Amino acid sequence: MIRVTRLNGQEVIINSEIIEFVEDTPHTVITMRSGNKIITRETADEIIDKVVEYRQRIFNDASMLKRKRG
Amino acid sequence: MDLSTILGIVSGFGFVLYAIAGGGAFSDFLDVPSMMIVFGGTIGSVLISFPMNDMKKIVKLFKIGFFDKKIDAKKTIKKIIDLSYTSKRKGLLSLESEIEDYNNAFLKKGVLLIVDGTDPEMVREILEMEVVNLEKRHEKGQNIIGAFGKYAPAFGMVGTLIGLIKMLTNLNDSDTLGPSMAIALVTTFYGALLANVLFNPLANKLKLKSELEIMEMDMLIEGILSIQSGESPYIIEEKLNSFLNSSNRDKKDENEDEEEAEIREGVQEV
Repeated sequence: MIRVTRLNGQEVIINSEIIEFVEDTPHTVITMRSGNKIITRETADEIIDKVVEYRQRIFNDASMLKRKRG
Repeated sequence: MDLSTILGIVSGFGFVLYAIAGGGAFSDFLDVPSMMIVFGGTIGSVLISFPMNDMKKIVKLFKIGFFDKKIDAKKTIKKIIDLSYTSKRKGLLSLESEIEDYNNAFLKKGVLLIVDGTDPEMVREILEMEVVNLEKRHEKGQNIIGAFGKYAPAFGMVGTLIGLIKMLTNLNDSDTLGPSMAIALVTTFYGALLANVLFNPLANKLKLKSELEIMEMDMLIEGILSIQSGESPYIIEEKLNSFLNSSNRDKKDENEDEEEAEIREGVQEV
């Protein structure tokens, strides 16, 4: 789940797992697997960063939990 | 000026009048009481059928039938492609200033929606709703003219009945038998003529013009959504050309290819 900003400034959280492709057209168009499209202010590269950040966070939290239980 | 409407009415009435003039006298076909029955009755029934607000549209409806509203599909497509080039070059938000001078309210509305960042599904929904409601309003106008076409022959019949009643009550007076029968049929003649040369064909023309306008709006919807999706202008042109028949489609000329190549290079640099 990543937070993105619509063109009108509204923020929305989208499910990054079902993103199919992201295009800079020059405005960024994210196409989901369902065919729904969403236009965002973030560039495609920023979207990639957000997804990686999100995934890393889950990974880190998971590994921290594991260590706690030890 | 819608030539086909004018030509049709002139030839329709013209041939009939010519045929009448050939055999007998015009005066046989002119009967003021008959005209009153057909005109008065038809207008009366239409007034009953529709609310007063709708009746105000009648003049406008006739104007639409007799005058052409220029719907140039090729120009519309070119406008959309220009907008998509601008969007690629300067970004989606630049379109807001581009359309300031446009007089196509529907196109303006669509572009403002996508510049606002509205969800594509919502944009489609809003624009399609507008088309559907426009279609409904158009249909109501067509129904008014159709009502004229429906009631005119009906009142022609009423006139015939009146004439026959008059005739039958005076059956003993053989002199008035023929003329009374003639007058009875004149009302049917007026009714049938008006309905088939004027009202019903006009209703049909209104329907076709409405379809043309709706096709342009459908084209605009597809174009606007394609611009929002960031599709390439070439793809958009191909999409929108499918609305036209092959003889109307723009054949690619050299200038366009050059312009496109420039844009592609420009975009790749970014």
